[in-house]
Amino acid sequence: MPIKTISYEELIPGYKFPPATYELSTSLVSKYLNAVGSAGDEFVPPLAITACAIAAMTGSLSLPPGTIAIHASQELEFFKLVPIGATIECHTTVAQKITRGKMSMLILELEVLDKGKEKVQSGKATIALPT
Amino acid sequence: MLTEIREGKTLNSVVKHITQEKIDLYAEASGDFNPIHVDESFAATTPLGGTIAHGMLNLAYVSEMMTSAFGRNWLAEGKLRAKFKEPARPGDTLTINGKIGCVEKKDDVSYANCNFECCNQKGEIIVTGETIVKLSSDKE
Repeated sequence: MPIKTISYEELIPGYKFPPATYELSTSLVSKYLNAVGSAGDEFVPPLAITACAIAAMTGSLSLPPGTIAIHASQELEFFKLVPIGATIECHTTVAQKITRGKMSMLILELEVLDKGKEKVQSGKATIALPT
Repeated sequence: MLTEIREGKTLNSVVKHITQEKIDLYAEASGDFNPIHVDESFAATTPLGGTIAHGMLNLAYVSEMMTSAFGRNWLAEGKLRAKFKEPARPGDTLTINGKIGCVEKKDDVSYANCNFECCNQKGEIIVTGETIVKLSSDKE
């Protein structure tokens, strides 16, 4: 089934991206650890979880052609260890959309839950879109 | 892991060399194929003049430093706040330095507040920020 996308122009504060579910399998975590050049253990690196949350959002957002999106800041809070093999659900909400001159800023709130709906991670990402 | 936790204690640095191959690997692993990271001909036409590493890749290196220092305390109950100042580009060598700014106790729980900087080989600050790690609780 194709991923439903929303255009940047359509985004408004309060918009919730479609939640995305990931199984943090051994192969997914190994791929991540290989990419970042880190050793792992039985728990999932928290930044791998954040990467899933951000990918879920970027995969369903379409930007105007030629637009670049740059990560300007990031806040994160981790609430529990997540074992390899766990399933997580990523939720992203548009907190603010700001335009100042030739710069647009998108502030997104991230929340990641586990299968039992317990909070695993939360955060805030600021994305700059120079036009 | 750190054997001594005190104000001013330096964390073990992490040094990473950025290559386009590593950026591509991160794109594959994370699913973030933003062309500014992976499309060299597109990126060359933008004001950035070329591809840049994902901000989250740079933060993964910060997390590696924190995991090395604090182990599962970081993985289980860490907090991070980061500002991306400059892009990291293929060919850059990044050094992530951090130190414990202070150790605080709130409601019988101790926390280490750390500051970090990620610099390139020219000394330019790529990422700067703070982290907080829960160390122990008197109730545990």
